[in-house]
Amino acid sequence: MKALRFERSPARFAAAMVAGRLAGGGGATVGPLRLRDIDDVELPGPDWVHIKPRLAGICGSDLATVDGKASRYFEPIVSFPFVPGHEVVADLIEPAGSSGTAPGSTGKPDGSHRVVLEPVLGCVARGIDPVCPACARGDLGNCERIAFGSIPPGLQSGYCCATGGGWSTAMVAHRSQLHPVDPAMSDEAAVMVEPTACAVHAALSSEITDSDTVVVLGAGTLGLLATAAIRRFTPPKTLVVVAKHDHQRRLARQLGADTVVAPGEIRRAVRRATGSLAIGDGDVVRLCGGADVVLDCVGSSASVADSLDVIRPRGRVTLVGMAGHTSLDLTPLWQRELRLQGAYAYGTETLADGTRRRTFDLAFELVAAAQLDELVSATYPLRRYAEAIAHAADAGRRGAVKVAFDLRQEKERNR
Amino acid sequence: MSGRHGAERNRLPVNGRALATTAKAVAPAMMARAKQSVRAALPDGLAPPTMPGGIEPPPSRRSVGIDYDTDWARTYPARLARVVLLEGMVRPGVTALARPTVRGLDRLDDLDGPAIFAANHHSHLDTPLLGTTIPDPWRHRLVIGAAADYFFGNRLTAPLSALVVGAIPIERQKVSRRSADEAAALIDDGWSFLIFPEGGRSPDGWGQPFRGGAAYLSLRCEVPVVPIHIEGTGRILRKGRSLPKPSPTTITFGTPLHPRTDEDSRRFASRLEREVAALADESRTDWYEARRRAHAGATPPLQGPEVGAWRRTWDLGDRSPRRKRRARWPEL
Amino acid sequence: MPRPGFVLDVDRSTPPILFHHGEGFRLERLPADRSRVIYPAEPLPALRHPDEAIRQALCNPVGDSPPLPELLRAGMKLTIAFDDISLPLPPMQRPDIRQRVIEAVLDMAAEAGVDDVELIAALALHRRMTPSELRHALGDRVYDAFAPHGLLTNHDAEDPDNLVELGTTDAGEVVEMNRRAAESDLLVYVNINLVSMDGGWKSTATGLSSYRSLRHHHNVRTMEHSTSFMDRHRSELHHSNWRMGEVIRSSGPRIFQIETTMNNNVFGTEGPMAVLQKREWEWTARDRVSFTAMRKGLEQLSAANRRRIFQNWKAPHAMTSVQAGEVEAVHEVTLEHTYAQHLVPVEGQTDILTMGLPYICPYNVNSIMNPILVMCLGLGYFFNLYRGKPLVRKGGVLIMSHPTPWEFHPVHHPSYIDFFEQVLAETTDRHEIEQRFEKSFAEDEWYRHLYRTSYAYHGVHPFYMWYWGSHALAHLGRIIVVGGDVRAVRRLGFQPASTLTDALEMASDVVGRDATVTHVHNPPILMADVT
Repeated sequence: MKALRFERSPARFAAAMVAGRLAGGGGATVGPLRLRDIDDVELPGPDWVHIKPRLAGICGSDLATVDGKASRYFEPIVSFPFVPGHEVVADLIEPAGSSGTAPGSTGKPDGSHRVVLEPVLGCVARGIDPVCPACARGDLGNCERIAFGSIPPGLQSGYCCATGGGWSTAMVAHRSQLHPVDPAMSDEAAVMVEPTACAVHAALSSEITDSDTVVVLGAGTLGLLATAAIRRFTPPKTLVVVAKHDHQRRLARQLGADTVVAPGEIRRAVRRATGSLAIGDGDVVRLCGGADVVLDCVGSSASVADSLDVIRPRGRVTLVGMAGHTSLDLTPLWQRELRLQGAYAYGTETLADGTRRRTFDLAFELVAAAQLDELVSATYPLRRYAEAIAHAADAGRRGAVKVAFDLRQEKERNR
Repeated sequence: MSGRHGAERNRLPVNGRALATTAKAVAPAMMARAKQSVRAALPDGLAPPTMPGGIEPPPSRRSVGIDYDTDWARTYPARLARVVLLEGMVRPGVTALARPTVRGLDRLDDLDGPAIFAANHHSHLDTPLLGTTIPDPWRHRLVIGAAADYFFGNRLTAPLSALVVGAIPIERQKVSRRSADEAAALIDDGWSFLIFPEGGRSPDGWGQPFRGGAAYLSLRCEVPVVPIHIEGTGRILRKGRSLPKPSPTTITFGTPLHPRTDEDSRRFASRLEREVAALADESRTDWYEARRRAHAGATPPLQGPEVGAWRRTWDLGDRSPRRKRRARWPEL
Repeated sequence: MPRPGFVLDVDRSTPPILFHHGEGFRLERLPADRSRVIYPAEPLPALRHPDEAIRQALCNPVGDSPPLPELLRAGMKLTIAFDDISLPLPPMQRPDIRQRVIEAVLDMAAEAGVDDVELIAALALHRRMTPSELRHALGDRVYDAFAPHGLLTNHDAEDPDNLVELGTTDAGEVVEMNRRAAESDLLVYVNINLVSMDGGWKSTATGLSSYRSLRHHHNVRTMEHSTSFMDRHRSELHHSNWRMGEVIRSSGPRIFQIETTMNNNVFGTEGPMAVLQKREWEWTARDRVSFTAMRKGLEQLSAANRRRIFQNWKAPHAMTSVQAGEVEAVHEVTLEHTYAQHLVPVEGQTDILTMGLPYICPYNVNSIMNPILVMCLGLGYFFNLYRGKPLVRKGGVLIMSHPTPWEFHPVHHPSYIDFFEQVLAETTDRHEIEQRFEKSFAEDEWYRHLYRTSYAYHGVHPFYMWYWGSHALAHLGRIIVVGGDVRAVRRLGFQPASTLTDALEMASDVVGRDATVTHVHNPPILMADVT
């Protein structure tokens, strides 16, 4: 099978770090990521199945990995070599003699049907019984056994050497990871489900109420999806989105932002939206009040600092983007008694009315309702991976949102 | 003990004052002797003639005092020199000594052509001070009426007065036809005048009655009089003092006054005095208060109360500039 | 004898025409045989003895009013209100007309022995005047006599304790007024009537009122029905103010109105700027050299320095008339004088109207002309300087020349920044703007704080700027800005063009290839009398 594989190679890793600094996505050509013809992944256990990716998205964390920017924090919870790609819609090929098709789905003539992968590798996928308390609650993203059990370390499919990943023509998945796709749903919509689930989780874990002013910093894929998720599941009083590029502004407004502003305008926008006072004679040097909740969907030092600048005392900042190493002044955190929290992955959510739903179910609902398939801007075949990654790294400026690999036409897949 | 020792140590070994007195007495005699020896040394014909006895000597033509001819001081080179002197020497000196605050210049905006500037007079400093603060275009065509006996008294002070401040000699005590004609001719020629109508510096810090000279010239030449009030020069160099002491001053220009149809020079002069008194009031309090008192006839007079000398001095104490509270802005 | 304004038909031998362009200039050739240029009248002669004229006016009032000295008595409460920094434009050389008039009024008050006098800058929702601006407007004597005692104040439209409701007009408009002014025995209002919009009941009903009152006439509907707001008798803005005037007349203070008009001498007859008020074919070699040197010199400077130079210009324009007495009678006389200087008869409308916008408008004195003010100057003031019919036909094109920098004065225009960044980014539709956003800006606590304690225009002021252009926005088919910051121009909802030729080309999409062009050669100010 053909796969983009990330190998442990210190020299190439160093080269990727340099190239990645020079141009986003530059690590793709010189780094540890290489297009290989490799053996098919074997099934690690009884409940595992082969799936053939159809579309696989390129995510911000993937880009950081490719460019050597990812934190070394990940080292013990991934296993090399791995095939990246965790935003996957795939064909599930039922093994001969297997009885089950997932309920509610219609199989294709060849016996396959489409599934979306929920990539988190929790206790169930790892064959651990009894499951850890987090998995017992349904909070898969918080699983406490991610380096243990029947498969090697790896926080998600796409970071584990035993599962393969979406950036290839074939991979394996545990049955518990698969969500059937309604035939009416396009592949483009389906590939948006995983990132949408992240956004839904971020939105719902930020405890937004309908009297809140909420700021979404950044209008890349995550920012836009978070905007849509907040608007649908936990609508606030005012939703301010910070967007850099014109198409982002348009989409943000379309997905439910009340106010869309440029990055430099955030302080003034929050000040006005909240009607708070500000220090500075007509300039907003420092806000005295601020937003109730900020979702930082960028994850840079600057964006976290911005978040701390525009939050009200006792407000909540949620880091949705992967922040990595940042340097920031925590004085406001202390003086304003802020809560700074992360939002990673998904599991089970509690809605305002108290019902508990799987994040992925909510994500499916949102993708369909908000027509999020529109956010897939470009697809590339595997062999043009360098272009694809460069495009994804520069998506905002080039007018794109989500860039994905299209594996449907790959020869190896259809053999 | 120590004080006396100190005083003795500072005393010069020679008595300066005695020396000066002796020199003054001896000088004419020495001059006469010098003349005599020159005469003796020169051949006849070149030596100045001696005066035969029994002949009434003709009156010597006076070339100083009221008769001093100042025309040369209004020629272009002299004016140029005056500008250089004023800007290069007088202005820095005045600025250092007097730190003038000038107010009311906007009242001269509608003034065209020559004018008579009339100010109160406390100090020798008044002349250079006004010489540098009266605005263009009047400053460069300005003559100053200076007491003939004082400023044009001898051959040294006369040309200096004429050159540095552009003075012309006038008599203090009366309006002489000669000096009045000359002044009128100058005004008609486009020159402006600076006159101190009090006729001399204040002896005690209070004003003196305004004489009619400025008013007379205004009536005669049909030019307006600009009242000016000078505050503070008395603290720097008052009459009777020789060493100046730096202190801030305020100069307030008033609205140009035209004589009314029913006014003679005496009445006009007293109105002028009232106007200067109102300006004094204005510089001490504020414009609106001063106007109200002026309209009510309650402006404090320049001349001070008719009481004993010590009480006049006592009352003067209140006239030092009031420390105004700086208003904070904005008032929230 | 000054020459009146006139209309020049452009032919092939017409020299390039001067366009003001912010803190700079453009020379543009207009298309021959289909263009015309409207020139303002030369400056009318100034009053020779202004102080005497003022005294005469105060002692010989027009309309039903006794002379001022008869209205003054000891023990009374006297308030003098005066126009703020927005008048005149550019600021005039000292002494300011306000100083002359107020000194004359105060001298009479002093004569009558009036103790209780207060002076109020009638700035409505404009920014407060700084001490030095007040000093310039009123002179040192008045400033020093009143300011230190807190008797010289800026009107505060957000101080509930110092506002009083006088009543409601027939049309249901609330009339609210500065309490001190309303409770005085006599209110003297000192106007500088630069254009025909200024003065009349607008002085007191607008200048001393609050947002509660202003919203009745500072809105889209009123401004769309003011054709134009420079024409008092066809201006809904003025009708509303006159209705409020009725309320003030019946339940407000006694008013003694003083109005003054000015001539067109804004750039002087000598000096570096003089060339700007000459007609191009009369430029001498010296004019041409000084103009070129000025233009090249300005190009070398930074924007901030250019602005500093222009903002420091104090114009030599002077008073041409002064009249005092009863508000409406006074204002009618004033209008005659304003029209005498400004009106230029023009025959017929045009397809394309061009204008070169200068560096100053009423709201950026000592400040920055931001894009919203550019819009207001062009579509508000210049467009409305007509009587009869608009200069440009309905559906025609307006071409304005101004650099339109994306730049704001944060102290003076804080709410403008937010209006530009947050409101205009969403919509430029005046009705939507009014309905969705006005209230939140008007009631924002921070803007209110800055308006009251700093030098900021009121939070709602940028909306008024936008409404000021309502009539033009409703009338025009397309608006093009030449030489402006492209992003800023687009944000305003207009079209950017880099040259006048391009702009005319773009205009031809709307009005065809042989469209007629009319250029208003303003400033100095002119008002087209279109028949």
